[in-house]
Amino acid sequence: MIGYTLRRLLQVVFTLFALTVLVFVLLKLMPGDPAVVMAGIGAQLETIEGIREELGLNRPWPVQYWRFISGLFSGRLQAMTYHKPVYLVIAQRLPATIELGLFGLIIALAVSIPAGLLSAIYRNSLLDYTVTTVALMGISIPVFWFALMLMLVFGVILGILPVSGRGDSIALFGWQWLRVSFVTWDGFRHLIIPSVALASVQMAMNARLTRASMLEVLREEYVNTARAKGLKERIVLIKHAFRNALAPVVTNVGIQVGTLIAGAVLTETTTAWPGVGRLMVEALQRQDQAVVFGLAIFMAFFFQISYVIVDLMYAYIDPRITYD
Amino acid sequence: MTRRRGQPRFVLETRDVLLSLLLPGLGHLARGFWTKALMYLGTLTVFGITMGMAVSKGRLSWIAGPSDYWFSTVMLFVMLMLIWIIGIFDLNHSVRSRTERHYSFGYWQMTTRRFSKDPKGIIGMLLILVTVHIALFAPFFASGHSFKGVEGYVKPVSHAIHMDLRNFRAPPSNEHPLGTDHLGRDVLDRLIFGTRIALGIGVVATLLNMLFGGFLGLVGGFFRGATDATIMRALEIVNSIPFLVLVLLIRGLWPGGGILSLMLILGIFGLQPARIIRSEVLSVREQDYVTAARAIGVPTWRIILKYVLPNAIASLIVVTTMSIGVNIIVVAGLSFLGHGVPPPAPSWGGMLQQAQEFIRTAWWMAVFPGLCIVVTVFGFNILGDSLRDVLDPKLK
Repeated sequence: MIGYTLRRLLQVVFTLFALTVLVFVLLKLMPGDPAVVMAGIGAQLETIEGIREELGLNRPWPVQYWRFISGLFSGRLQAMTYHKPVYLVIAQRLPATIELGLFGLIIALAVSIPAGLLSAIYRNSLLDYTVTTVALMGISIPVFWFALMLMLVFGVILGILPVSGRGDSIALFGWQWLRVSFVTWDGFRHLIIPSVALASVQMAMNARLTRASMLEVLREEYVNTARAKGLKERIVLIKHAFRNALAPVVTNVGIQVGTLIAGAVLTETTTAWPGVGRLMVEALQRQDQAVVFGLAIFMAFFFQISYVIVDLMYAYIDPRITYD
Repeated sequence: MTRRRGQPRFVLETRDVLLSLLLPGLGHLARGFWTKALMYLGTLTVFGITMGMAVSKGRLSWIAGPSDYWFSTVMLFVMLMLIWIIGIFDLNHSVRSRTERHYSFGYWQMTTRRFSKDPKGIIGMLLILVTVHIALFAPFFASGHSFKGVEGYVKPVSHAIHMDLRNFRAPPSNEHPLGTDHLGRDVLDRLIFGTRIALGIGVVATLLNMLFGGFLGLVGGFFRGATDATIMRALEIVNSIPFLVLVLLIRGLWPGGGILSLMLILGIFGLQPARIIRSEVLSVREQDYVTAARAIGVPTWRIILKYVLPNAIASLIVVTTMSIGVNIIVVAGLSFLGHGVPPPAPSWGGMLQQAQEFIRTAWWMAVFPGLCIVVTVFGFNILGDSLRDVLDPKLK
């Protein structure tokens, strides 16, 4: 188990390294000169040259790559347009995304698992058809449009929820970058629309998965045995079926923790939520190569780590699976 | 020939014929030669009437549309032609089988039979076919007017691109059923032409996905070992940043890139099918018939083509159907972020991006493009869902 974990971590390191090279090359191949963007409109040629010199943009690519990588880890890499080190730019935006992602996940799980369970138990009933159809709809709805519609209905027409932004927030432990907003009433109201929108796809996928996995388990022999023993139906369903049906769902949730960050790109842009997803879009528009680089690596790291945890968790939930 | 029980044959065949008026290719469902011929004739008539009306309205240039996304339109027509070619083969086949006294039901006959009984699949097919019809005959459904150009001859203009700046953000009315956008263009017309873009990109990108991803999955799964490991590592690298972010990064290389480059990028880097096909191939290659074929010395390429591919075809079809929907959503998302289909072309995602600013004043700009996306993608998803059940009855 430990050997497997180490091997997986080594793989993660390799993947991340290859990814840094890929992202760096892509950034360097992009047309447009970050020095020109930084200098602003109507800048002198000398200013642009000075910026280029300062950022090392006129050095060979391997040198620049090394600057990026070493700067990122030592915290010396400055964002090109944010006048802060890259890690600080990301750290300031990260709490918002994590808050949004967690809320989205909670909403998604709270709705989807009971829905999937009920539709599997009452198979081919009206409830089942409703759940499967709605879930299929949920997969087909683009997140950003759903967010727009929520904004339109609850923000504009009914006027009960704020349309965009994050609202009031409180700095935890006195750290200015670690701000949470759901503890304040205003911040909580701001959180509802983006997190419901973000949850929509996960909700649909989880409900379908729970249903499929539950149906599979209900067909197993041990469920029959449990029923034949004369156990109460509720106990059969919860203790014997549901617990075994949970494994694929948990795996999927683990993978979704990574994809929540990705889904945040569109949701955050739509609802003007100041998280890392919107930061990515902003940085790409501003051609801030340092921030894009740092953020891409960070997202990849998050993804990879969540995959490793899923793998390990899988073995923990299902003792039949061993890695060697 | 067995007969379906319960309903008289006449009712069943009438139903089939009525369905086939909208669905080219549904002729497979019919049994006899004459029913089949009638079904294909019905489809031909509907297409002919629509086309004739388009021509009689003086829109001979209906392939072109208001912008330069000719490629997606051409692809849609190629798709249509393919369906017709399949139809001709099908007819030909049924002529031959008619001369034989008995014919048994093969896999595909059984599958189409099951498919025709699944309401989900029929709903999906209908939704998709309605959108395909709208895409192909967009200029017929859309409105427009003619004006005398500077050169002296009459020029037709589509309201999808013609800006009427005195009439911007007009609410839905008789003249503009779904209102106008911030530049006075008709929302309905833009949606109609947007169907071409969405379907064109979705279909082409998915075909490329299946070509690239399918090839990688097939090779990796079949040869295993170092080839497989390399492919899987490469996939892992590409998959470790969100697909949308990856596409945004690559798209940055050609800032002025149009629809063609979008199709290519999505087609080449959307490697999700590779994984699914790989796992399918991995299970097929362990079967006894593959071992037997190898034992008698069948060459590898022939094993892949004759044994592995046909046995993996069920999941290939399902994945293809589903990824068309996914690609449509991704394109909409990219356009929404301003990195997808370049602005003057009427793309659904782009329309939503413009609507975002006017959410307080012009709700019609935001509601309808999204509905179009949902209906189209839902059609593909529900069809894929039904195909999954139909193609592999063991799963049910």
